Parts: sequence; C-alpha cells; structure tokens
Amino acid sequence: MSDVVVLGAGVSGHTAALHLKRLIGKDHTVTVVSPNSHWNWIPSNIWVGTGDMPASKVIFPLAEVYERKKIRFTQAKAVAIHPEGSVTDPRPYVDIEHTSPARAGEPGTVHYDFLINATGPKLRFEATEGMGPDGHTQSVCTADHATHAAAALEASIARMKAGEPQTLVVGMGHGTCTCEGAAFEYVFNVDHTIRQAGVRDLATVIYLTNEAALGDFGVGGMIFRQEGFETTSELWTESLFRERGVAAIVGAHVEKVEAGLIHYETLDGTKHTLAFDFAMLIPPFGGAGLKAYARDGQDITDRLFAPSGFMKVDADYTGKPYDEWRATDWPATYEVPGYPSIFAVGIAFAPPHQISKPRKTPNGTLIAPAPPRTGMPSGVMGKAAALTIAHRLKDPSAPAEHASMARMGAACVASAGTGLTTGSAAAMTMLPVVPDYDRYPTGRDTGETRGELGLHGHWVKLMLHHLFIYKAKAKLGWPLIPE
Amino acid sequence: MTNQNPTALAAQPVLDLSGAPLPTPRTLRMRQCLPFQFTRFVTFSLRILRMVLKGHSG
Repeated sequence: MSDVVVLGAGVSGHTAALHLKRLIGKDHTVTVVSPNSHWNWIPSNIWVGTGDMPASKVIFPLAEVYERKKIRFTQAKAVAIHPEGSVTDPRPYVDIEHTSPARAGEPGTVHYDFLINATGPKLRFEATEGMGPDGHTQSVCTADHATHAAAALEASIARMKAGEPQTLVVGMGHGTCTCEGAAFEYVFNVDHTIRQAGVRDLATVIYLTNEAALGDFGVGGMIFRQEGFETTSELWTESLFRERGVAAIVGAHVEKVEAGLIHYETLDGTKHTLAFDFAMLIPPFGGAGLKAYARDGQDITDRLFAPSGFMKVDADYTGKPYDEWRATDWPATYEVPGYPSIFAVGIAFAPPHQISKPRKTPNGTLIAPAPPRTGMPSGVMGKAAALTIAHRLKDPSAPAEHASMARMGAACVASAGTGLTTGSAAAMTMLPVVPDYDRYPTGRDTGETRGELGLHGHWVKLMLHHLFIYKAKAKLGWPLIPE
Repeated sequence: MTNQNPTALAAQPVLDLSGAPLPTPRTLRMRQCLPFQFTRFVTFSLRILRMVLKGHSG
C-alpha cells in the first residue's frame, strides 16, 4: 500500500484528491493536507463582494466530503518537504503545522510515496504598503475578504444615497499581479450594483491595472474572429469600458496605499496619486513558502523552488529573453526534476516566463502581469498528476500524463453583472492558454478563441458555479463533469 | 454613457476610450433578448465542451 499526499485543497488539489481516490483508493491511501477547513469556489467571490451572494453559497466544509469519500484530511499547513527522508527513515515526508482550532500550532509529519503540491497562492498584500484588508483596501480573494468588501461597498452606496459622490477604484495592487480577470469582473459587477441602487451618477468608477492595454488579462490579449474580421480583445474590452462609463488606467504599479489615497507609477515613469472612497485591489501572488531539506538536513529549497516560492517542474527555466520563449518551454507533466514522486500543479508550479510582455518603467520598476494558472487549467493539471500517479502505482515506468497550458484551452467567463434577466458577462474561450506562434499565426486557434458579451454569459457563469460546486462535493456522477 | 466626475479624474492618466466602438441600440437589445441569448447560451456551452474535448490533452 502506498500513501499519496496532496498539499492544498483548492481547485487543483481537490480535483487531484477526488480523482486519486476514484482511481487508486481501494488499494492506497489518499491524504489531503490543507490549512483551510472549507472549499471555496473562488470565481463566485465577486458576487459575494457585491452583496449579491452570501459567502455560504461559495464555500462548503471539506471534512464531510472527505469523510464520505474516505479521503484522509489533515487541517494543517505544509511547512517543509523532505524528499529524501531523514538519516533514520528513508521515506520522504512533509513537516506540517496544524491549523484547526483544536490543534492550532501543533507540529507534525506526513509521510508520502507520491506528493502533489497544490498549495495555491500566498496573498502577498505586504508587497504594497497599506494594501489589503488589514490596510486601506478591500479584496475578493477569499470568501471572508469578499464579505468585508461587500460591507464596504454598501457603505459607499449609502453615502451616495445621501448625496455624497464617491470614487470607486478596482484593480491590481502591484505591477506583477495576476488574475486581472477577477478585477475586471469585479469592476463591472460594482458598476452593475450601483446602477441597480440608482446611484451610478454619483460614482466615478476607475479600473487601475498593471496590464499595458485593456483586454490583456495576463495572457498577452487575444485575437478573436468576429463578424468576418479578426479583432482584438483590447478593442472589444475598450468598447465595454466606454459603454459602461468605467475609466481605465493601464500600465500601473501601485507603490503604496494610504487612507483614501493610492500612489502609483505608470509605464512612462510618471508618478500619480489617486484619491478613493472605496478600493478593491488584488495582491500579487507568491508561493506558499515551503522549504525543502535533503536527507542530511541541508537546505535544498532553491533546488525545488523558484525565488518566488513556486515549485520548479518540467519547464525550461533558463533565462532566455522574453522574445525567445516558446510554447514548448511550458511544463507538460508537472513532475519536479530529480524527484519523480513530486508534482506541483495549479498556482503552485513556477511558470517559466510571463505570457504578457514584461515591461519596465524608466525608473526601473517592473510592470509585468504574471500568467494566470487558475480555474479550468488548474483542474486539468490536478487530474493529469492524479492519472500519472495512478498509472505509476501499477507500472512504475508508465509515462506521465500531459497537460501543458500551451496545448489546453480555457474558458473565462467574466461576469459584468448579476440577474437572471438583467445580468451579463464577457464570455471568452481561448485555445491554447499559452500562445503557440509555431502552430498558429496569431498564437491561438482563432476558431476556438472567441469573445461574446451578453446575458447568456451570465447564465454560463451561473451554470459553472452550480456544476463545479456539485462536482467538488463529489456528488453522484461527479467524474462526468469535465475539469 | 459616461458617468465620471471630471474632478475625481483630473490629473490621472486615464485611457482615452473615445475611439472605442460603441454597441448600437440593437446590439444592446440583442444582448438581453431572452430567445436570442438562449441560442447563444447553448452555442457557447457546446463550444466549451468541444474545446474541453479538443484541448484538454496535451
């Protein structure tokens, strides 16, 4: 009997754990180690952040699902990996620290034969002074953060109802942030909410982003085929901003936030101060901060992890200039070099380079949207790692499953307002996520890379909300729902 | 169409969107037209499914 351990229970880790149990659970153990007691369907946090959905609709307790599926669950955060075991025990293991109220702070170890690192992001609010729920801005990165954001937005709406104009700023809190799609969604949901409240005329709504152009989304933008023409996501997105009267500031690196003031620098090197009444800024992501040690106790963290804290996998991490990167440099199997029993999936793996072109201001400030690795690709990677492990438990020489972001597609449904008859969303598909200019002149398959706006997008997002929560709860027929 | 307070935006490097295409009233109506949107919902859902089948192996 082998022990498979999954670190993290987000989209990627939870998907991997469920598939592992389905594939190998009768003969081997599957253990999930996660500091969180609840699973969160993060794409719907933006609706929690406008008060359109209670947090209880986007989270559920993990313990009861794992108990029903006979998956071992340890509520703890991983601290360090010992991939070679110790001098007294050759079995690899992970140092953990319990986080449940009953055992908070208690150290422990979990041995493994196969390990999937799906620890997700560390929300690095500290990267920008004054940013975050403990500072002066809101967040929608967790259901709890989103609940607080909704309360702050409601307070702003109350002030507008009393006749006081408000400046609402939504965007990215650092030049190296990712997940621009979340801020894009939230700004249009805020716009929709204040229209519904009848106070839009008293609001100045500003989207402050590190993207060099609207529609970049951290993937370098897209080229769509539409009405017999090839058009860009930039033009398409600009149209929506103009239509909805949302002002945009692009190519921005937020340096510091004070009460009511955002200090930022733009790509031309100029520095600005923006006054606000309500602000939601997404923080940059970092790795979970895991350490790694060799059998003799030597610190080998830099062998397994990039300086950002993300785990190195089967990607090309040589420091090539941006223009020389190729789609084939992206990882396909998510195996950690030198440690074939370890995989890193979802946000936990270190991307080999930005998809969106990195830029520097004349002052040397890096403004470089990081590649998104969330949602659909995250689940696909988790399943691929689970399949590889399942195959190798039967045949150690079995080839690894492939799930390169340079081959797979993704759907991004960016809500622009809720309501079964009044909602709307920008519904986009792209194939592949990482452009491949050797295969496609525009980097992507223009037959599959599309963008549409309308009520149907909202219905799709709502459908995905219910489908993926159903799947994550491992209810009857869950494996039939694709990642 | 625009609801911005010029004072709040003064001195900010706001992107000039005056050249961005605006949807026509018909386009805006169609974006909320229930029968039409239902056909788009079915089409888009099938497209996601096709893309999953075509692009989720790598």
